[in-house]
Amino acid sequence: MPANVLDSKLVAKMFLAGAKNLESKKEYINELNVFPVPDGDTGTNMTMTIMSAANEVSGLVDGDMVTICKAISSGSLRGARGNSGVILSQLLRGFTKVIKEYDELDVAIVSAGFDKAVETAYKAVMKPKEGTILTVAKGMADKAGELFENGEEDLNVFFEKVIAYGNEVLQKTPDMLPVLKEAGVVDSGGQGLMEVVQGAYDAYLGKEIEFTANPGAATAPRKLNVEPQVEQDIKFGYCTEFIILLDGKIFNVKMEDDFKSYLESLGDSIVVVADDDVVKVHVHTNDPGLAIQRALKYGQLSNLKIDNMRLEHQEKVIKENERAEAVAKTAEPKKPVGFISVSAGDGLSEIFKNLGVDYLIEGGQTMNPSTEDMLNAIDAINAETIYILPNNKNIVMAANQAADLTEDKHVVVIPTKTVPQGISALIGFIPEASEEENVDGMKEAIDNVKTGQVTYAVRDTVIEGMEIHEGDYMGIGDKGILANGLDITEVTMQMIAKMTDDDTEIISIYYGADVSEDDAEAMRAAVEKEYPKCDVDLQAGGQPVYYYIISAE
Amino acid sequence: MAKIAIITDSNSGLSQEEAKELGVFMIPMPFEIDGKEYLDGINLERDAFYEFQTNDSEIFTSQPAPQTVMDLWDEVLKEYDEIIHIPMSSGLSSSLQTAKMLADDYDGKVYAVDNQRISVTMVDSIVDAMYLRDKGLSAKEIGERLESEGLNSSIYITLDTLKYLKKGGRITPAAAAIGTLLKIKPVLQIQGEKLDAFAKVRTMSAAKSIMVNAVKSDVAGRISENGKYKYVINIAHTNNLEAAQEFEKEIRLAIPEYKGEIRIMELSLSVTCHIGPGALALAVSRVVE
Repeated sequence: MPANVLDSKLVAKMFLAGAKNLESKKEYINELNVFPVPDGDTGTNMTMTIMSAANEVSGLVDGDMVTICKAISSGSLRGARGNSGVILSQLLRGFTKVIKEYDELDVAIVSAGFDKAVETAYKAVMKPKEGTILTVAKGMADKAGELFENGEEDLNVFFEKVIAYGNEVLQKTPDMLPVLKEAGVVDSGGQGLMEVVQGAYDAYLGKEIEFTANPGAATAPRKLNVEPQVEQDIKFGYCTEFIILLDGKIFNVKMEDDFKSYLESLGDSIVVVADDDVVKVHVHTNDPGLAIQRALKYGQLSNLKIDNMRLEHQEKVIKENERAEAVAKTAEPKKPVGFISVSAGDGLSEIFKNLGVDYLIEGGQTMNPSTEDMLNAIDAINAETIYILPNNKNIVMAANQAADLTEDKHVVVIPTKTVPQGISALIGFIPEASEEENVDGMKEAIDNVKTGQVTYAVRDTVIEGMEIHEGDYMGIGDKGILANGLDITEVTMQMIAKMTDDDTEIISIYYGADVSEDDAEAMRAAVEKEYPKCDVDLQAGGQPVYYYIISAE
Repeated sequence: MAKIAIITDSNSGLSQEEAKELGVFMIPMPFEIDGKEYLDGINLERDAFYEFQTNDSEIFTSQPAPQTVMDLWDEVLKEYDEIIHIPMSSGLSSSLQTAKMLADDYDGKVYAVDNQRISVTMVDSIVDAMYLRDKGLSAKEIGERLESEGLNSSIYITLDTLKYLKKGGRITPAAAAIGTLLKIKPVLQIQGEKLDAFAKVRTMSAAKSIMVNAVKSDVAGRISENGKYKYVINIAHTNNLEAAQEFEKEIRLAIPEYKGEIRIMELSLSVTCHIGPGALALAVSRVVE
């Protein structure tokens, strides 16, 4: 007989199981994305969001309800990536807000938690859409409320019925959102949520699950403040810290991820922070030599420090260093404004830097940065007011969440949804003008630019009446697919035709990493020929995945 | 009634002929180009100036020699009782300071006006001065009135190139480089002493709509308080007449409630010197009544 109340231990166990189950279904959920673009995927985003929380919870399985809830809430808020990740984090935040008040949960409390979760998540979305993860969550909350009011007291029956109803609602999402129906899929975010709930239910039933969460790529610097470990718990004995001096050498996000995964194979408590010309590294491992050898590939090492943790508990050295650094940083006078921008590709990064961006978060198209990445960027800029340009519609919410979580600085999110919008917004910024004038001016600039992006389809689908085959080129505009086909030039030209009118003056082409300069020049020539009255501008963007990012204004 | 002469300088953007037509005297501004001195509108015509500029000549502006100013005053005072002297904005040149100092020796016969204007809006203030003179005000009264009205005007200028701002050290080479790469067009505002960045855009149509909206909001606000005061709208440009004429049609559509004349004139060489050719400007001033 499964328990009829949930204590903190069981809640932690269920949460970890839910996270684990979501992670195992990640690829399947990615496949459900409506837009068949090689883009930041729902499954990946939700998994990284929940894993960030799971990492915090896994160190605390014996904690009380308040501790567990805090870890779930803050871990997922910080780790939130992509819109579905942000919504998931808000659901968890709302849910834990209710249950943290109790040591043991019954049907009434869980049902109230569901209600609060849904309420919180709806609030976080500017224009809630039905047929999404929100609808699925709401369906479950409604069912939970109904069961409670009808006097259901058996937690097992309650869970079973709620989940069954959630799945029912999920199956109906294609009827609510035509794009889903056309593509022949259920909503991916809703599916992700059901995986979490299902995993939690399995744990409740006592099915075998693994306790330790896989740290994955969600590991981030802030994770350092883990609880002090007692000696017999120490799995990896040497706390190893050092700094890599890059000396101008490149250390990009890919290398950082590679290096992190390597360290993950050696131990835990991994921190890799790249900052200007240095990379700070921290790992707990039984073989510090391997970590050091690998790091030498990236540059010279300095400030090496290896402690045997089994002999002495020296945990928070880096944290203290960072605190000291933070103090030193804030001692300098703050500048009035700073800019954070998200982009991928050397060329685009260079443009953003030259336009005055202080901190560039690499990513956007293939990897949506998390709220945590934004918070780190905000931390790194010593300015009174910080503007964030997300440059991707799937990152705007994470940026808003970071703004909400920041207390010591004024953060303004300019909701740029494409790279050209970000560029135009930055151009429109006038240092002498007031914040209000600048926000208006930048939003106006966003409205004045049309964006089209050329990429390829990762699978067959039907969208907006267009039949799309895997490998097709697609031209995607601000409001949907503008063109598709087998010839990249044709697709691009068709797309531009739909973006331009008689008033168009400038067509800017940013070509991606997978396009040769010659091909790009040929494209420019073709566009110039077609639009003799327009200025046609070609820049090496260097972005992955998107062959061409084009703006018309 | 005292006979009052109006004197201005070529920073008004008027040609010698236009000044004569208006019945005002005009001091030509001196320019030093590639080491040689020229006088605006005397031995330096616009086309020649544009040519110097495109050929990257070294161009410096300066203020009129005090002797030139005093000689003109002495000459004019043989026929007139008083002089109202309107030089370019004290925020942009020290011509006014010099004129004020020189006027001290003229027993109150010369009033040097500090009304912070240049180019089109400076012409507007000359028209205002003529109106006040005809109403019978003294030079001092006219001058004080022009000064109190001085700030009720704005000029918005969209630049076609960043080259000359960079040359004049008004923007950094780095800002100029990225600006040129992305074809950024700054919209500047001249308001009183200040010459500030007002907006930055990439297309002329966006720039024009920003200038029109700025003028509309000036009209609704401080300059006319929604039609309470009479106002005048003018267009100016640097070697960009066709675009200016096109712009006039667009303004008639965008601001249909304005029925007055829209003067189209070239910006003075002193402004051209800093912004280069191809610029388009929209100006608005309150009319003195």
